[in-house]
Amino acid sequence: MNGASLSRWTLSYFASGLAALLVGEILLVAGFGFPSHALDSPQTLVLVHLVAVGWLSLLMCGALIQFVPVLVAKPLAHPDLPAIALPLTIAGLASVILGFLGMAGAGFGPSPWLQLGGIGLACGFALNIWNLGRTMWTARPIGLAARFVALGLASLAGVIALGLVFSSTIGGWSANDVVVRLTSQAIPIHAALGLGGWLTVTAVGVSYRLLAMFMLAPEAERRTSAVALYAGGAAFLILLVGGPVCILVLNRDPTHPLAAALVLATLSLTCYGYDAVGLYRARKRKKLELNTRMAAWALGCLGLGLLLTLLATASGEINRSIGALTFLFAFGWLTGLGLAKLYKIIAFVTWLECYGPSLGRRPTPRVQDLVDEGRVLPWFLLYFLSVAVASAAAFFGAPFVFRAAAAAMLAATGRICVEFVRIRTLRFVSKPLLPQDAGAWPRLLLTKLQPLKS
Amino acid sequence: MREANDLAECVHEVLREVIDPEIGINIVDVGLVYDVSIDEAGIARITMTTTTKGCPATSYLKDGAREAARSVAGVQGVEVQITYDPPWTPGMMSDVANNLLGF
Repeated sequence: MNGASLSRWTLSYFASGLAALLVGEILLVAGFGFPSHALDSPQTLVLVHLVAVGWLSLLMCGALIQFVPVLVAKPLAHPDLPAIALPLTIAGLASVILGFLGMAGAGFGPSPWLQLGGIGLACGFALNIWNLGRTMWTARPIGLAARFVALGLASLAGVIALGLVFSSTIGGWSANDVVVRLTSQAIPIHAALGLGGWLTVTAVGVSYRLLAMFMLAPEAERRTSAVALYAGGAAFLILLVGGPVCILVLNRDPTHPLAAALVLATLSLTCYGYDAVGLYRARKRKKLELNTRMAAWALGCLGLGLLLTLLATASGEINRSIGALTFLFAFGWLTGLGLAKLYKIIAFVTWLECYGPSLGRRPTPRVQDLVDEGRVLPWFLLYFLSVAVASAAAFFGAPFVFRAAAAAMLAATGRICVEFVRIRTLRFVSKPLLPQDAGAWPRLLLTKLQPLKS
Repeated sequence: MREANDLAECVHEVLREVIDPEIGINIVDVGLVYDVSIDEAGIARITMTTTTKGCPATSYLKDGAREAARSVAGVQGVEVQITYDPPWTPGMMSDVANNLLGF
């Protein structure tokens, strides 16, 4: 059973995701996609899918195959299925991007890139949903954090279903009236389910547990946590059922279900924010580690983004500001939280891999001995500052400032990635505590599962 | 009986060499070791927990405790049992651990 809870493929997902993030940021600097191009332009679609699928979704899947077993105290149902899901997802994403580039005028031959990409993404994500869902199903009854994850996976299934509809319609495989109407009007539902239902709900669920674990705070299931879950679940149902009903049955655009979902999401995230502040206050670890300090910045971006979304909706400015707000959610909240937690998770996984089998046999470093927080802190601060500037520049329509801020984001992200590599290569561990056995050194992109020595 | 108690105390002390990697403090002061006893055959029975159920380090902590206890002279064998009853809470940490964490 040793190592059963250590996922072999998590770091491969993280590395693929980080590569997609860096490419996405390079595109931002180059002026490719929003805000240099329109929100519904093929260039923006390339950028959005690169960030939402290539970075955030792979990051989330990689984290879930490691942490769902922790959340439900059961090993992953199919430990090696993620190895099949990853290349399928990457191939699907590459094909979808080729399809969007084709829409932008770049010629990549007559192949149905969009449709093939949709199928590839659906297969890749379906394998991960099946694997994670089955793991949680066998562990019933599951706790609050895992229920958030289950809701996130259900949202992902909704995102995939709509994505398949869109790709088959835009690609010319289907001209059915129902799918054409969905394609023309359900894109906001697709985006809300993806950014809100899948990525944010899952991040909320995982962070309930991770914040408690890493700050040594009590893991009590509060009433506000349950309200956050049920309100989030209701928002999901309204989007998934109410949206298509509005479009297909009532022949109206999905403004009302989107507004209702926003109200419920506000309630859900307010409760979550209240709980998160409670966890910070109840912590036993007085001196916060970098990952929890930076997570607080990400939470701040979530709160600010939510407040600005409400203000923009109330003032009728939502259409003008939706691009900048989505940018703030994607890069301030989700990416900020992701990079902060990666800094801890990579160190933790590396420690387990290299030093777990030596515990009790010889002196081992702490997880914190694998990192140098002082080196990376300025880059995290630069990252959050540049996200704030870029968001404001996108809102006020200052493309040059936006691209300059994106360049700062790219520099910060690149340097944080270098620190991840240094953690994996044990650069900060003192010489006497380095692994004595050459075979115990970690591989950069693939976790070794070492047997116990007894 | 006194010998068994002394041996149990030795095992308890040697478990301080095993750290909880995440917290960076030994498992005794973190409050993960619930009980140590020695039976008539000299077998050390350790009842311990982890900070969270499903912790990926569980098997390493269990094995580390077993290896550390095995190193005590007079111990004929070691059995480590993981329990979550009661579940660990931060309130189980010793004053030493609280001081190290800044409380």
